[in-house]
Amino acid sequence: MTDGRVTVSNLKKVYGEADEGEFLSVVGPSGCGKSTLLYLIAGFLDPTSGTVAVDGEPIDGPGTDRGVVFQDYALFPWRTVEGNTTYGLEEAGVPESEREAIAERYIEMMDLDGFEEKYPEELSGGMRQRVSLARTLAYDPAILLMDEPFGALDRPLRESLQDHLLDIWRDLEKTVVFITHDVEEAVYLSERVLIMTRHPGTKKAMTEVDLDRSKGREAIVTSDAFTRTKNAVWRSLREETETGTEAR
Amino acid sequence: MANADVPLSTDPLPGVLRAPAAIVVQWLPLGVVTALWELASGRVVDRAVLPSPVTVAGAIGDLIATGEVVPHLTVSLIRVAIGLGSSVAVGVALGVGMARSKPVEDFFDAFLTMTYPVPKTALVPLAILGLGVGTEATVSIVFLACLLPVVLNAYNAAGDVDRNLVWSARMMGTGERRVLWKVVVPATVPEIVTGIRQAIPIAFVALVSAELVASNRGIGHLILSAGQLGNYPRMFAAIVVISAVAYVAVRWFELLCDRVIAWT
Repeated sequence: MTDGRVTVSNLKKVYGEADEGEFLSVVGPSGCGKSTLLYLIAGFLDPTSGTVAVDGEPIDGPGTDRGVVFQDYALFPWRTVEGNTTYGLEEAGVPESEREAIAERYIEMMDLDGFEEKYPEELSGGMRQRVSLARTLAYDPAILLMDEPFGALDRPLRESLQDHLLDIWRDLEKTVVFITHDVEEAVYLSERVLIMTRHPGTKKAMTEVDLDRSKGREAIVTSDAFTRTKNAVWRSLREETETGTEAR
Repeated sequence: MANADVPLSTDPLPGVLRAPAAIVVQWLPLGVVTALWELASGRVVDRAVLPSPVTVAGAIGDLIATGEVVPHLTVSLIRVAIGLGSSVAVGVALGVGMARSKPVEDFFDAFLTMTYPVPKTALVPLAILGLGVGTEATVSIVFLACLLPVVLNAYNAAGDVDRNLVWSARMMGTGERRVLWKVVVPATVPEIVTGIRQAIPIAFVALVSAELVASNRGIGHLILSAGQLGNYPRMFAAIVVISAVAYVAVRWFELLCDRVIAWT
């Protein structure tokens, strides 16, 4: 069983690391390679130098120890909500009777009960993203790799899904690597925020987020700690955008 | 904006009349052609050469009543089914293979591009030479004629499959080859269906052309033999029969697709 520690490094130094069960966000100017970083961890792309390791073992392509959630959902349009959710279990050879029970659990977790037989085409964007999460959680990867998953949704939906994701993260103890361009989202969700430089996309800073998350959204976003951290990340990111503009 | 109670509509006809109106519009061209045919027959063209639609209708009745058309039609339909069926099997495999593998693409690309403009019916004499007169020759012509629309649609669509779908499946444990069957083919189904839809009329064109010379049975043979005997009502009757059958085949296929592919 994978613990879920992700390390991205080259020969000289560790570039970034997500500890098991950690929620790590990655922010950076657009075009800095945030998504590329995620695809490297996913194993879709091969690093030209350096390594990506899970629990210290270099990865070899995509694998079921990790799960990806894309901004555009990437659901299989020819499969129903249930069919999408059981896909990973089918591929893992889980017997059909168990598959349905497991899928149902995650469908319920994502508030999708009653929609099992619907096709993605028939669902709204927010629901599709919840199906995508259910599909990924169902085969129980230790690490969730999320590529601006809520970027295409409007604000109320985005906030409700963020809270939903936090609940899941706490309950299921997954490691989450979360790509976003939204500083507020990054700070609200994560324990640490990795800020990337403009070009080449390397690590600029790693900011610890120390928030009391026991109280709920309103208390969190209005707290001094939240504002302070958010501003710090924003300033750091702003420097990158500014230097980028000057360099042009 | 003038009256909020009036529902928005771009159609000048009230709802109840729309469906019947559509049917009239749909069949109007056929009606016009039949009317012109009736007018021309015996006036512009000799009745012996261009028998009137009524005479042809009678000949169709005779073909059906005597049961004469049945063996010919059966043979023709079997040939279409085998030719089209095998072109779908080979075409999908070839199209998907070309889209997902550079060596396969390189191997077939130039060949397909060069053979594309060749009218497949021009290969009938060659087919007779190699396979003799009969089902083998006609089926192979139908197969070749249908292959390209199927290949091209599958090829284009399989090359355009959303990368994230493939990646998602790979992440969930689907191997690199298996992904073709689990993701690329299902994602390509709508375009494969379009290819088959395009291939059905082509199959009938190829069938009749091939049967004219490369067969002693089938509707194409029926058309030719009636023509050679100067029995023009019978010749036209056979043409109308095969047109109607081709039309029904296309419509049936469209209905089938609507039912089977619920997710588009």
